[in-house]
Amino acid sequence: MRRFLVIRFLQALLALWVITIIVFGLSHLTGSPIDALLPDDASPEQIDNLIRHWGLDRPYHVQYLTFLGNALQGDFGESLKWRGQSALGVVLQRLPATLQLGGLAILISVVVAIPLGVMAAVRKGTTLDASANVIALLGQSLPTFWLGIILIWVFAVGLGWLPTSGYGGITYMILPAVAMAWFQIAALTRLTRSAMLEVLDAEYVKLARLKGVPEWQIVWKHALRNAAIVPLTYFGVLAGSILTGSVVIETVFAWPGTGWLAIEAIRGRDFPVVQTVVLVFAVVYLGLNFIVDALYAYVDPRIRYD
Amino acid sequence: MPTNRNHLTRRALAGVAALAIIATLGLPAVAQTADRVVIALDPPSTETNRFWTTSGGFGGIDPAFERLVGNDPVTGAYDNSGLAERWEVSDDFTSWTFYIHPEAEFHFGWGPVTAADVAHSHALHSGPDSTLTGVQSLRGAEIEIIDDKTIRFTFEEPRIDFDFANAGRGSLYIYSKAQYDAEGLEGYDRQPAGTGHYQYVESSPGQIVFARVEDHWSGFQPDFAELEFRFTNEAATKLALLLSGEAHAANLPRELQDEALADGKVIISSQNPGKQVVLIPNGLYQSEGDPAHKPDLPWADIRIREAMNRALDRDTIVDAIFAGRAEKLVRYGMHEPHEGFAPELVERFEEMYGYDPERAKELLAEAGYPDAFPDPVIPIISTVSPGSPEYPTLAELVQIYFEEVGFQTEIREMDWASVGAAGRGRAAYFINPVQNSPIRPSNVALSNTFLPTGSPYHGYEDDRIIELTNEVNRTLDTEAREALIREAFSYVYEQYADMPMVSLAAEIVVDPEVIAGWTYPGVTSNGFSHWQLIEAAGQ
Amino acid sequence: MSTPASDTTSLADPIRRSGLWRQLKRYPLVPLTILMLVLIIPAIFADLIAPYDPYQSHLRNRLAPPVFWGGSWEFILGTDRLGRDILSRIMHGARYALAISLVGIFLGAILGTFLGLLAGYRCGWTDIIVMRLVDISFALPSVLLALALAAVYGPSFQAVILVVVFVLWASFARQVRAETLSLRERDFVARARVVGCGHTRILFRHILPNVVNTVVVMATLQIGVVVLLEATLSFLGIGIPRPTPAWGLLVADGRQLVVSAWWISFFPGMAILFTVLSINLLGDWLRDRLDPKLRQV
Repeated sequence: MRRFLVIRFLQALLALWVITIIVFGLSHLTGSPIDALLPDDASPEQIDNLIRHWGLDRPYHVQYLTFLGNALQGDFGESLKWRGQSALGVVLQRLPATLQLGGLAILISVVVAIPLGVMAAVRKGTTLDASANVIALLGQSLPTFWLGIILIWVFAVGLGWLPTSGYGGITYMILPAVAMAWFQIAALTRLTRSAMLEVLDAEYVKLARLKGVPEWQIVWKHALRNAAIVPLTYFGVLAGSILTGSVVIETVFAWPGTGWLAIEAIRGRDFPVVQTVVLVFAVVYLGLNFIVDALYAYVDPRIRYD
Repeated sequence: MPTNRNHLTRRALAGVAALAIIATLGLPAVAQTADRVVIALDPPSTETNRFWTTSGGFGGIDPAFERLVGNDPVTGAYDNSGLAERWEVSDDFTSWTFYIHPEAEFHFGWGPVTAADVAHSHALHSGPDSTLTGVQSLRGAEIEIIDDKTIRFTFEEPRIDFDFANAGRGSLYIYSKAQYDAEGLEGYDRQPAGTGHYQYVESSPGQIVFARVEDHWSGFQPDFAELEFRFTNEAATKLALLLSGEAHAANLPRELQDEALADGKVIISSQNPGKQVVLIPNGLYQSEGDPAHKPDLPWADIRIREAMNRALDRDTIVDAIFAGRAEKLVRYGMHEPHEGFAPELVERFEEMYGYDPERAKELLAEAGYPDAFPDPVIPIISTVSPGSPEYPTLAELVQIYFEEVGFQTEIREMDWASVGAAGRGRAAYFINPVQNSPIRPSNVALSNTFLPTGSPYHGYEDDRIIELTNEVNRTLDTEAREALIREAFSYVYEQYADMPMVSLAAEIVVDPEVIAGWTYPGVTSNGFSHWQLIEAAGQ
Repeated sequence: MSTPASDTTSLADPIRRSGLWRQLKRYPLVPLTILMLVLIIPAIFADLIAPYDPYQSHLRNRLAPPVFWGGSWEFILGTDRLGRDILSRIMHGARYALAISLVGIFLGAILGTFLGLLAGYRCGWTDIIVMRLVDISFALPSVLLALALAAVYGPSFQAVILVVVFVLWASFARQVRAETLSLRERDFVARARVVGCGHTRILFRHILPNVVNTVVVMATLQIGVVVLLEATLSFLGIGIPRPTPAWGLLVADGRQLVVSAWWISFFPGMAILFTVLSINLLGDWLRDRLDPKLRQV
């Protein structure tokens, strides 16, 4: 078990290292930052100064090693677009906003999807099952940005219940979180449903039924407890897709998180910030999956350690 | 085993829930005061308090800062509403002396504005890390501090436009030297002291807040106690902010304005046109011996350029793309109040540039298009330039018109920085849109447009226009300049050097229940300025 | 990675009720009809059935509303900013939706299946390398990378395909590897090995046929994913280049006018909705038939 965890950890590190190379290579393929940074009428001298200032004239491998060495010390360079701030500083400043939104989105998907999935399993094959399926699928069938805009028009402009966009208290988070969560609900509902179906067939559930335990207790207490492990393993994937989803949702809702930041940084050719965002996303994703793996291994020692 | 598993699952789920709740509660509530005016805008291209590291376009901190030369809110003419109460220029335009308003003082108690502050700010803005457009016009100055309130800039060659460089679209904000000496650049990052009618309060991602300066040195007091910028990229979201009352003003693409108007909002335009839009047949580096010159580009043939112009129905373009609120542009860079305005070009416009698809087809036939050209396809750039949301639709419409007369076209999507990069690499072989905002002095526009050292978004060059432009920049005599500039405009007009599209005012849509009016001249890059003149309704 | 427990309940369960839904699920007529009407027929016959050329601009009829919203029969679903017929654009857009999905999924599935087979069969270093590549491709925010590249090289049809392949291959590889792992321990593979079959023969003749069902089911379900991905890319300005009437681009382009000229984005949005919904329902049905083990998320 410990060996399994150590191996998983090393594998995650290896993946991360390859990602640093990819990220570095890509950002240097994507053109020079001077295109976005310099004024229209920049003189050749100004261009040269800037190139030297950012070390863009050195060989690629030197630039990479410098980048990696500094990154290990938590230094991702200075932001080119947010002058006077470090790239990591800019990203960390915006990360909490993304985590808040992502957290709420996960909460919403869990609160909606698990009961929906349980009910669909219990009433398998009925209209209820089918409607749960269709409701869940609806979220997966619309482009998120469009869903977001429609939510804004209906609930913020039309009904005036919630603010349209921007950063603020819980009311500001509801619409973007719902837009984000809906996409996940379908997947989580299906997972819960199939896990529940499996558990409801298990011996101990049948035994409980024979013993006369009330049906709601069997479903919501005994069966769900055991079925919930399956959706849990999905959290790693869920977190990943929420980070990616934040790019679109944050742009639509002007939510100042890392997703929006990433877009602005790419438009401004802000290498250091783009690199940092991608690496932070990768670390969060790999970290969460490592935790999920560890939890899973702990809970169910029968799994294959491969 | 099940017990173990249950326990853990439950805990993990509870943990996720708890985290989400904690995260949610840790948020600040946004303070909304009745006396705060909220304006939804496109984000500035560089978000920083160090203005000299931006391109010199719209800086988020604009309301807190002033320049030496002011602009009249109605005419846009240079006046003493900036930090200089007057200025003098030597007859040969090499020496500029500015006299600073005696009462002018910085926010947060950093003291009166002195010549030393101007020299310090000039050093920052013309220094090696300055990325300002127009930084060249600041450089090369010898600075003489004559007394506390008087500063003189001396140049080796004439600088006719040094007043422009110090006004609205100029790039020199006056920062406090005292603050710099005490706190360094970190002080600017934290709380920059300017001299504007509003002072900096705080900024967070996507938002900047300012507060009115009580007893401002100018004696003028703005109506609103607080001013907030809300930065949003999505136009639909900006409209939603305005309609829901969360923002009181928003700069909306023209196609969205009607919706706001239907809801009782009103448009406040800049007093003067603030922008000229043109399509550039780029990549025509026709100077003698230029290695980048490609003579077999279809649009290197003047007949093709005329045909392109003839293919465009500008009236429909104004209606379809600019919601009818724009004027047809006659000559890019030419502006009636500026030097060298040539009315005969306006008169001849229909005859020379008018919509005439039949004539366009004839011209194509005369030029032997498409067979005479190795690559007859005309690439049209679709791009998103800050402040010009219309460009992608414009590209599609232009493509439709071009194909109607027989051009082969393709639309190439490129971001704004890449278009510039292609130009800087002298390989911009395509048609791209570009804007002159604000409308610059004629000679600045000519230099930007036709000199190889000018803007990379332009690429029409030939020996004649380069010589004319240089001649303009060398000439000091007013009448001779007038004639030269006029000659230059006529020359490129006859060469069909580009496709003039429209001239238009900056526009902001406001909620009339909150904002009664706002007089601004349209002299900055996004057109907006004079924030102190935003009038509150019902007062 | 953990191997998911098998889910055979959906087939093992005796049919107790025979409601309308069950019937439909057994013979998925509704989703199939929708799919034919919205996606497949327009994609094949767009040239014949679309009322107009999708690029033709009727400048006098800009932003004409649909017929039931005060418009005329001339433009049944209205027109866009440049007076192009929405219905014709949606019909032609079906082609792009189908082409991107088919090409992208085909390439992604082939790449993923091949690497998955290899990893599962060879184990050892091959397995480690492939699985790490899978980790990496899941951990990289692909949309951001695509955005960064497209900012410079400009968007294109090929770039969209590339993103689709990059996003899809890893899930195919992971699933196929898991199945191969269990298959290679099975008797018939062992027997083939004893008989002296070469590795290639075992892989392609004995193992591949057994994972094909899984791959087909997954591929079907991915059509929805791809259609939405294309829309997201268009929203970010890196999808199929304009003026191509790709559905995602139509929705993204019309989103600003979602109130005044709602039809520009609404109808293409509905086309996406119905396509994805029916694909998912069909995929469910296919899965129950072909591969009840697969737990699709």
